[in-house]
Amino acid sequence: MITRVLGPLRSALVASILLTLAQPAAAQGNLDRGLERIMRATVFVYQAATEGNSLNVTCVNTGVLISADGLIITKANGILPSQQCAGDTLIVSLNVDLEEPPIPKYRADIVSADAGLDIALIRIARELDGRLIAQGELPVLPFVSVGDSNGVSIDDNIIVVGYSDIGNAPVAFTRGTVTAFLAEPLADSRTWFKTRAEIPGTMAGGGAYNTAGELIGIPTSAPLAGSAAASNCRYLNDTNNDGLVNNSDRCVPTGDFISTLRPIALAQHLIRGARLGLQVEVSAPARGSYPQQSPPAVSRMFISPSVRGAVPSTVVGSLPANTRNLYLFFDYDNFSADTVYELRVRRDGIPDTTFSLPPVRWSGGERGLWFIGAREQAWANGAYEFTLLVNGAAASSQKIIIGGGPADRAHFSDIVFGTLDHAGNLIGNGSILPLGNIAYARFLHANMSVGTTWSAIWYYAGVEFARTSERWAEEAFGSMVISVDPAGDLLPGEYRLELYVEGALSATSDFYVAGVQGSPLPRVFNNLRFTSANSLSAARQGAAASSYPTAIPALYALFDWQRIIAGTPWSASWLVDGQEFFRYAQPWQGRDSGSDFALALPNPPDGNYQLNLLVNDLLLLEQSAVVGIGQLPIDRFAEFQGTILSGKVLDAATQQGIPSLAIVLISENFDASEFVWNQEQVVALATTDRNGEFQFARPLAFDTPYSVVIEADGYIPNFADVFRFDANQPSADITIEMVRG
Amino acid sequence: MAFETGRSPAIQITPRQRWSIAFSHLLIVVVLLLGVNQRDSLLNQTSVYTNISAGVSASYPARWLLDESADNVFRIRDMSHLGFKTTIEVRSLPVGVDGAERNLLDHLSLQRSQVLIDYSVLGYDNFRMPDDSHAISMAYTFVSRDASPFLEGVSSIVNGLDILTIRRGQALVASLRAESSIYRRELATFRRFIENLEF
Repeated sequence: MITRVLGPLRSALVASILLTLAQPAAAQGNLDRGLERIMRATVFVYQAATEGNSLNVTCVNTGVLISADGLIITKANGILPSQQCAGDTLIVSLNVDLEEPPIPKYRADIVSADAGLDIALIRIARELDGRLIAQGELPVLPFVSVGDSNGVSIDDNIIVVGYSDIGNAPVAFTRGTVTAFLAEPLADSRTWFKTRAEIPGTMAGGGAYNTAGELIGIPTSAPLAGSAAASNCRYLNDTNNDGLVNNSDRCVPTGDFISTLRPIALAQHLIRGARLGLQVEVSAPARGSYPQQSPPAVSRMFISPSVRGAVPSTVVGSLPANTRNLYLFFDYDNFSADTVYELRVRRDGIPDTTFSLPPVRWSGGERGLWFIGAREQAWANGAYEFTLLVNGAAASSQKIIIGGGPADRAHFSDIVFGTLDHAGNLIGNGSILPLGNIAYARFLHANMSVGTTWSAIWYYAGVEFARTSERWAEEAFGSMVISVDPAGDLLPGEYRLELYVEGALSATSDFYVAGVQGSPLPRVFNNLRFTSANSLSAARQGAAASSYPTAIPALYALFDWQRIIAGTPWSASWLVDGQEFFRYAQPWQGRDSGSDFALALPNPPDGNYQLNLLVNDLLLLEQSAVVGIGQLPIDRFAEFQGTILSGKVLDAATQQGIPSLAIVLISENFDASEFVWNQEQVVALATTDRNGEFQFARPLAFDTPYSVVIEADGYIPNFADVFRFDANQPSADITIEMVRG
Repeated sequence: MAFETGRSPAIQITPRQRWSIAFSHLLIVVVLLLGVNQRDSLLNQTSVYTNISAGVSASYPARWLLDESADNVFRIRDMSHLGFKTTIEVRSLPVGVDGAERNLLDHLSLQRSQVLIDYSVLGYDNFRMPDDSHAISMAYTFVSRDASPFLEGVSSIVNGLDILTIRRGQALVASLRAESSIYRRELATFRRFIENLEF
């Protein structure tokens, strides 16, 4: 709030400064108060292809500025070059006038992206004409705060902001609630948010906000590959240069209405890495033998009431009333980030939109076991049918009835794998075994009757290699340990155990064999170390250390590996000061054993770095190194807040705006009379546009006194001393009148 | 019809009044002269800049904004001008053993072509510094536009002039940038600046 406005310094005739502060719409709550800021931070992104001398639009996305230096989060589909979106240039349109469509202003570069998550970070890097923007020359842009999507609850109100048309509509918003959480192995119970808000396809990549105005999700969906249906594809350019724009040209896909949001928590590592400017380079070993790609396929679909890690606890054919957990499992093969999948759920023959998943990009690996489910959410009684579609075609379906009382059926559950210690106890982590002779599995059994037929089938790399079938002779309830002893040793790779009761699948689980015997975990990776060098070859020769000085050229993490077969799921997670900024999750692609797998981090800022190596999501090895003082610079994660000061400068006589006039904002340490025209005293400069309007390019800190000085040829100098804004003023407008003299 | 003609009675002023009128006229002239003088002194008032570490000192127009940040030795801008703010900047550049003046100017041009709109070199010329030492000048032009994407900023055509001289293994570049319409007027200011530049 303005506390004092002093008169002019030189003359009583100097015009007064009229300050009209924008009043926040307090009555409309926090969300509405921040809505204008959110809408201003919402951008439209064109992906365009250079064709001859022209740029033709290939795909479009909404995007959201998440930092003042032009970092934008959006969805990856439509940003990353692909068969459908084959552009090479990203054009960013800013929301200059909330009532008007966005205006192309800049070009952007891709900073990082995860095609599976369908999230990309891009950064404004060039002017619209392609000129580089010098460091520090980009004006401070409006941006939104990134919130905590893990704090979202069912029925929470949200608002989704984006563009409802391809560059021909102003920014829009739609309100809704979170209706369900869908679970996948990526993030247990919160891989997707479902909402009833009607979100047009062009809003994909925009933002979903909680009532505090914080970004909690990204609307995302995947137009089907190759689809050019008139309903979701627009013909905008004469791409074939025949002088006409018609259906012979390449169209721009817009997608259908969206009902899913990707929680922002899943993108935190991408955001953190992008904000810090950290780009990890992976020098993976040469790709080993690996099966050729075939069309994606789905098989062995079944339902489980709970999961343990990423495997089902048991397999059921029906569930009782008041069921709150349900997971649909299936095997997938030959999937990739280009694969589009969709789950359609029908209850008693009627589509159930709550638990359906619209077409989205695949976020898992190439093959394995996957689930889609919901935890701690009410499933109404009825006959459910789940149909999984892959690339638009029905791939598999499964039915289950929910209702009635609990069934006292005989069943197995909770399979874990390991080896036996000297005392005969099962040891291990449950999902990874080292190379050896025998694999053991322990499982629970319930309601088993003596004489019941049960069987166990073991698979290696999808091929059955052992089977036992017996009549039950144990207690009705308890646990049992079984083993498998293949003809040779256990080879590295993927194993599976299926347990059947009376011919019906009752429990199943997978495990991997990799590495050699360790204590307690298998030793797959070893010699994990950090070095600093100018090149990879020098890093491989360099001595390992745990502490490095500030401003090293690059920090290398190197490790050796042994007995891990191609296709084994593994990941490397790089953290700084305890927060992940990089994740490399791929099926293993190198030779079975080798050395000096390297990850390079150029120009690391001061911090405490840690690299974690995991197989099948189990942490096997970690190592840390300190750079500089061992802590990130304090402002690296800072999200400054303040008041955006804008306004207009008028000629007092004509009441017309004065163009190209400079307004000097003086630091809180000085008042106007102390100003000696030194940049050190200046907080910010602004120049009026052709209408006399101006906006300072950086937010002004709350509760801090500022002064303004204006000197212009032909006008009497003008000064305004000591005004300040409180935390309830995200923006303020001032009108300044200048008197000719 | 008859007309009456006559003269109004002559106004008699006293010598004292005569002197008063003369003195008033004289006072007006003196005040005007003082005003003009004051205006000229205000317009030509200078401030002194000294940078001991860079070994540079200069006098520059008072009330121009002095900026010692960024990679310049220093920069001054006339913030009162409506339009592109006339800028004079001084920067030092490292010189390699084989580096020639033209190499440095070409380097500047390459950098500027990446960030300035429609940057174009107009020509090179020899330049004689106040101490009679040799320098080379490069004239160029570009288009300046307010960077704010949220305003309706109007572009300005800017003319620029670099004066580059190499001494003691270091190149010093003094540059003027001014709106094309006032470039010739500002050139005089720049010449005065160069005359007082010591390094």
